[in-house]
Amino acid sequence: MTGPVGALDGIRIADFSWVGAGPRATKDLADSGATVVKIESRRRLDLGRRSPPFAGDPKDPDGSAFFAQTNTSKLGVTIDLGDPEGVAVARKLIAWADVVVENFGPGYMERIGLGYADLQAIRPDIILASVSVAGRSGPMAGFRGYGNSAAAHSGHAAMSGWPGSEPHMPPFAYGDVVAPMVATLAVLAALEHRDRTGQGQHVDVSQIEPMVHVIADLFAAEGLTDKPGNGDPVMAPHGVFPCAGDDRWIAIAVADDVQWQALCRVLGDDRLAGDPRFATADGRRREGSALADAVGGLTRGWDRHRLMAALAEAGVPAGAVQDGRDVFEDGELRTAGHFVAVDHAVLGTSMMPAPPMRLHDTPFAVRPPPRLGEHNHQVLIDMLGLPEAAVADLEARGVLA
Amino acid sequence: MSLLRGVRVVEFPDGLVDLGGRLLAELGAEVVSIAGVDLERPQARRLAWHHGKRRVRVAPAETDRLAELVAGADIVLDGRLGGTRHGLGELSAANPTLVHVVAVPFDTAGTRKDWPATDLTLMAMSGLMHITGDPERPPLRLPGEQAFALTGIQVATAALLGLRARRRTGRGQRIDVSAYRATALANYREPVVYEWTGRIGRRTGNRLVRGKTGVRQIWPCADGFVTWSIIDNPGMMRSVVATMAEHGAAGELAEVDWEAILVADAPEATIARWESLVGAFFAAHDRATLGDWSLARGWGLSVIADPDDVRASAHLAARGLFVDVADEETGRTARLPGPLFRHGAGEDAPPRRLRRPVPLADAGWSQR
Repeated sequence: MTGPVGALDGIRIADFSWVGAGPRATKDLADSGATVVKIESRRRLDLGRRSPPFAGDPKDPDGSAFFAQTNTSKLGVTIDLGDPEGVAVARKLIAWADVVVENFGPGYMERIGLGYADLQAIRPDIILASVSVAGRSGPMAGFRGYGNSAAAHSGHAAMSGWPGSEPHMPPFAYGDVVAPMVATLAVLAALEHRDRTGQGQHVDVSQIEPMVHVIADLFAAEGLTDKPGNGDPVMAPHGVFPCAGDDRWIAIAVADDVQWQALCRVLGDDRLAGDPRFATADGRRREGSALADAVGGLTRGWDRHRLMAALAEAGVPAGAVQDGRDVFEDGELRTAGHFVAVDHAVLGTSMMPAPPMRLHDTPFAVRPPPRLGEHNHQVLIDMLGLPEAAVADLEARGVLA
Repeated sequence: MSLLRGVRVVEFPDGLVDLGGRLLAELGAEVVSIAGVDLERPQARRLAWHHGKRRVRVAPAETDRLAELVAGADIVLDGRLGGTRHGLGELSAANPTLVHVVAVPFDTAGTRKDWPATDLTLMAMSGLMHITGDPERPPLRLPGEQAFALTGIQVATAALLGLRARRRTGRGQRIDVSAYRATALANYREPVVYEWTGRIGRRTGNRLVRGKTGVRQIWPCADGFVTWSIIDNPGMMRSVVATMAEHGAAGELAEVDWEAILVADAPEATIARWESLVGAFFAAHDRATLGDWSLARGWGLSVIADPDDVRASAHLAARGLFVDVADEETGRTARLPGPLFRHGAGEDAPPRRLRRPVPLADAGWSQR
């Protein structure tokens, strides 16, 4: 691979993870310059390759845009881990790697002879990162679930929704977002530790625990008895208000009286600005329902993006409630390199998300995701040094499938 | 020895970097947090995000002393939600080995670079609120402050990427983290669905809509709620239906060949009949029973735990997640999440307390 020097250039990762919770972590590491080899099998296809949306035939394992976005910048090999000869090839990859990542069901890696003790025997300073719903220890260690399971067990589902309503489960797996971010952090911290001590280790990331961490403020709150909804203990107004158009809204958060006056000025209502009920934050919180009606009555005629800009210019925090199209087409995100155009043999030129930061001296480089088995020869022959004839023989006998 | 023992961090908290500093402290770094706008935030947020750090106050005349503190740091977490503070500006020039992580609401080169933002407004712009909540009500945010939390984790990641690069190059660098981008990145589904299908997702309440029909995600049971859905997973469906059959509650579900049908293509009326049977079965059992069956039989069902349930979880207790944290500002002790994950390095936890800010003069670095 060529290109600018990345922060993780020289780091080698054998990535046995699949679907979302592991691959998002290794995507971050690969975009940062690590050489990540994704180990897959045609016999047990990564369910991410079966996940919509697709470019063309849903049966084409290389046609999933979901998979592509989750696996940028990686190399891909196919190895049948159900075959002892396949496991032997995997062991060579582990000997090459600094880090192994997996998110299989409990006990799978041990059953195929690739548990942490086995990995240490191959490379004593190896770092193994395991990502699972409930972690590898404790009474629920064997739990099989999904990202939404972490929302249920962490308190997220119970605290989501409108006050007084039943628990809410949004249509995305937030646990599949937060846990891999913490897995990335865990790998980086373990690398730092290894570099100073020479010791590897097994980091065991549960999806539930990071989900608890990101709502630690709710666990710290005394007397929290209901869902917070869109409310805030300090700011008022603090909510979502209607704008012109079908299902168009704007979020407005007023931190102090100066911002309140600015909001009234932009909305063009001197009477509201002078209303004594709303003169202080305490009053605005106390009269929340009347306040919402008054503000909502004024925002209703505005285009949400125009109002957002007008309020921002006046120093009032506001955000148009954007949908998937708005985010995809947002000029500011494009300019910032949030989506990077990447060429792919099946998808064509398509947009892939990049890490949300700019490292001034060691920039990211988002490269194409691997087609199934695309790099078998590059990895096994060029990188690991296996004889071409041996690789051809393994291919012919279905071991590299 | 903890993972980041000996790593020195100065944090200028503003909401955007607070969790980042907390994560680095939990991993063993020495984090000095410069008290400022955090003092105006609710006590629960201060307690949640700043325990385990050393907190200091900086007087206006202490610029030189603050510069000395920064000069001894490996990492600065520079939260700029409210703009630049303490004249920080460009630190890298004076401190070539420093990893200077600057967190901003919007990209520093963009037209929105000076716009104000809060957690709510960033969540709104991310596209996540548009699909969260009920179709007949306004968009809803996730609980807590998730835009800030997502940014905080990226801030910690940026810091460690910078450390890693420094180990190879010998130089620090500036790293800018955009809160808007960090939050929008969490919306992993809606932009790509629009790009490839032109479809725009909407709020569907507690129904998960995939394909032609929607399935229920939240179910009342005898003592609360559980989450589970009828989905295209034949093994899981057979397991749940077998248990229902043992209790005489399976009805027509017992006759369904789960390998042969595609739930995503089933008529709504059929899904409604099946969900009625499942709903009656779940309503007759409590969360513990349903949770035990799920664990033992691989249902994929989860009980919905409220914060008290989470604190009382035997599983999380066995993994040592919750710790007692003393709040020196109020005198109370709270049960809060401690370790981020399990690992093999020795336990070397940060002090489990929210400390009162001390004068900068008393805030030198520890011995490495």
